[in-house]
Amino acid sequence: MNLRRLATALALSAALIVCWRAAEMRPTVLFAPGTSAAVWAFISSLFPPDLSPYFLRVVGAALIRTAALAIAGTTLAIAIGLPLGVLSTPTLWQRGVILAGEPPGVSKLVVAWLSRSCRALLGFMRAVPDLMWGLLFVVAVGLGPLAGALALAVSYGGLLGRVYADVFEDVDSRPLEALHATGATRLQVFLRAIWPQAKPSIVSYTLYLLECCARSASVLGFIGAGGIGYEINLSMRLFEYGQLATLILALIGLVAATDHFSRYLRRRLHANAPAGRFAFQKNDDQPSLVYHADRRTRATLLVATAVVAASFYSTGFFTATRVGLVSRMAGFAAQMFPPDLDPVYLRSLALPLLQTIGISVMGTLIAIAVGAVLALPATSTFLFSGEDEPGHRSLLSSVGRASVYYVARLSLNLLRSIPELVWVLLCILAVGLGPFAGTLAIGLHSGGVLGKLYAETLEEVPARPVEALRATGARPLQTLLWGIWPQARPTLISYTVLRWEMNLRVSTILGLVGGGGLGQAIYNNVQLGFYSRTLTIVGIIYALVILMDWLGDRLRIRRTAI
Amino acid sequence: MIYSLKDVTKKYQSGNGAVRALDGLTFDVLPFETVALLGPSGSGKTTLFRLLNATLRPTSGELIFDQRDVSTMSSRELRQMRRRIGTIYQQHQLVPSLSTLENTLCGRLGSWSLLETIRNVARPTKRDTEKAMAALEAVGLEDKHRARADELSGGQQQRLTIARVLMQNPDVILADEPFASLDPALTETIASLLLELVQNGKRTLVATMHDVDLALRYFPRVVALRHAQILFDKAPSAIRRDELIALYGDTFKLKDDVRLDPDIQEPSGEFSYKQHRAR
Repeated sequence: MNLRRLATALALSAALIVCWRAAEMRPTVLFAPGTSAAVWAFISSLFPPDLSPYFLRVVGAALIRTAALAIAGTTLAIAIGLPLGVLSTPTLWQRGVILAGEPPGVSKLVVAWLSRSCRALLGFMRAVPDLMWGLLFVVAVGLGPLAGALALAVSYGGLLGRVYADVFEDVDSRPLEALHATGATRLQVFLRAIWPQAKPSIVSYTLYLLECCARSASVLGFIGAGGIGYEINLSMRLFEYGQLATLILALIGLVAATDHFSRYLRRRLHANAPAGRFAFQKNDDQPSLVYHADRRTRATLLVATAVVAASFYSTGFFTATRVGLVSRMAGFAAQMFPPDLDPVYLRSLALPLLQTIGISVMGTLIAIAVGAVLALPATSTFLFSGEDEPGHRSLLSSVGRASVYYVARLSLNLLRSIPELVWVLLCILAVGLGPFAGTLAIGLHSGGVLGKLYAETLEEVPARPVEALRATGARPLQTLLWGIWPQARPTLISYTVLRWEMNLRVSTILGLVGGGGLGQAIYNNVQLGFYSRTLTIVGIIYALVILMDWLGDRLRIRRTAI
Repeated sequence: MIYSLKDVTKKYQSGNGAVRALDGLTFDVLPFETVALLGPSGSGKTTLFRLLNATLRPTSGELIFDQRDVSTMSSRELRQMRRRIGTIYQQHQLVPSLSTLENTLCGRLGSWSLLETIRNVARPTKRDTEKAMAALEAVGLEDKHRARADELSGGQQQRLTIARVLMQNPDVILADEPFASLDPALTETIASLLLELVQNGKRTLVATMHDVDLALRYFPRVVALRHAQILFDKAPSAIRRDELIALYGDTFKLKDDVRLDPDIQEPSGEFSYKQHRAR
């Protein structure tokens, strides 16, 4: 057993060293005098932000385009994800209470197989990163927001479909069995037993996805979907850092606004958990069914429909030339086959592949450090004592604690709101082109995401054991180590592993703007029209993501076993 | 005969080898009969129920429902068969986030077409709603029709499952532990409700139960399962104390006021709960 541990430790350190080398980590550069001077010069050149009325109009138009892109993308993603999610739900088609009594036969096997293929298709859709879908759709349907919307639809449709299927699968199966036993069909079981149970999670996750889409939509501007990403790219190339500052502020505002909007909606939906919508009233002997629809709900639905329609219109969904669109896409797909498997070409991909893995690993490690350092001061339960606790509080300490808390929260939001691709551009200014810039970018953005998740997890830990420790006179650090950490550990680890999987996907596209890894190779191949070579890389990324998913599953299983 | 089982066996694949949940069961159930199914936990009662309502396939043997062999039925025919069988589950099996009214309406699913299904999700028809309200009235839940199912108490949930079965209007009722987790007064209410339902509607009832006293008091025929096999199948009057000890083990004890009643007749289908209580 000890030998096995030693071997694991050795293998892990070897892997880490390889990743370190592959990501071309040069921490000393960060502390070199030249770097800090360059960073300082960059930061001071951001001020003052360009607030001229002309530029503000540009920013406003870009924001609207990006928001429209996000909304159209999310709507399409739902349209793709919901049917595929239903089709790939194992309880409905593959195994479990609904299928146990059915006669065996070919049709049963075919249906199960089709359902599994849907699941595999979803896996493929979400394994290829959104930006890469964007590149492919730009070639297929031309430059513009339509390509961006389709890219969001496919990659987030894959994600949504998988999540929907998991939610449908996780509902309490006993009501399913009961309805099935009354002679209900699959559709009826789905509508009456699965959907009502799954609805709150489905709505909540879909709203969360809108946030992700807003971030992605801004990045898609880099490859020609227009909007805020396009403007950021342009300002950087023109060295107009005052404009860049305005744009980044606008982007942060957009992400924060979506965040708040979706949180507000989620809270409202949870507060108004649906009781019976129908009431039966007997006025004298004239029974009638009364439908209790909230007028606000109807108004909200109307507004939402209008916004979605406007978003599609602004994305050019209705106006785009559809003539030959399908044949163009088919022609493009045909050009990709067969994938280029020339050994020389494959060998040339080995180094970028290793770089991609290295960037994701090192970036995640940096993110863990950044997240952990910022999460502790951003945990409210840790910083503030309860309202009704005895003792004297000096004003100075209260103000000090509050300012530490808000500074930490603000920095986390700042890190999180700026997408990786923008971070790459900023890091390149400091450390130059190459994988190290990509690694730093992933570390900073994921650090913000992880820090927020860590802080939320630490806050939501069951309070009673912690209280018991404090009642014994334990110090804050002791309650953290003995009361909070043991309870939060499994969640923290699983968030981190999930983030690493996501970073692996992201690190394949950083090369688009000079952050190293496979992205550069993809970009070159697409630009030069080597579509069969592009397909090879897409295949490699798919294989890599599947491998990591599997590894992630294994790690999480190991974790529960510990 | 409504059910006819010949040598029915059900095996489950478990970690190492197959486990027999039911091992060569042979018995018949006549129309309008009321049968109590006794047996300790793990004796195969729930598996037998799932075979009887056609949500599980027997591994071998012949299960005949109303002169049709279940193994030859298509999915569609199975659905039609299930529509005729109402099941009351032990854990209530209600859809937690739907209202009491909507849960009752679910009993009707089997007889709705695709179009009616979609219509009813949007807005139930007046006819169905009135039927559902009548069913809720029969179990005394009409005031709760807008409440979510998970806001009801245990006894109310149990009554709601009965309302769902009323709505389904089946020929056969299978009740898995219908009296578990009910207090004595509620047990009386639910038992009378259930037995009246069977009696008035000319229905067949098969009910599993843990409470031997209850089974002996209310049911003219008792089938006992032990180790996946039938231990005995007879009228309560013919059951001997040592047979019950063989079923449940040495520590088994009847309540003092319940005697093994010699008056109860052989299973005849003319059993009435009311007559029995009058005695």
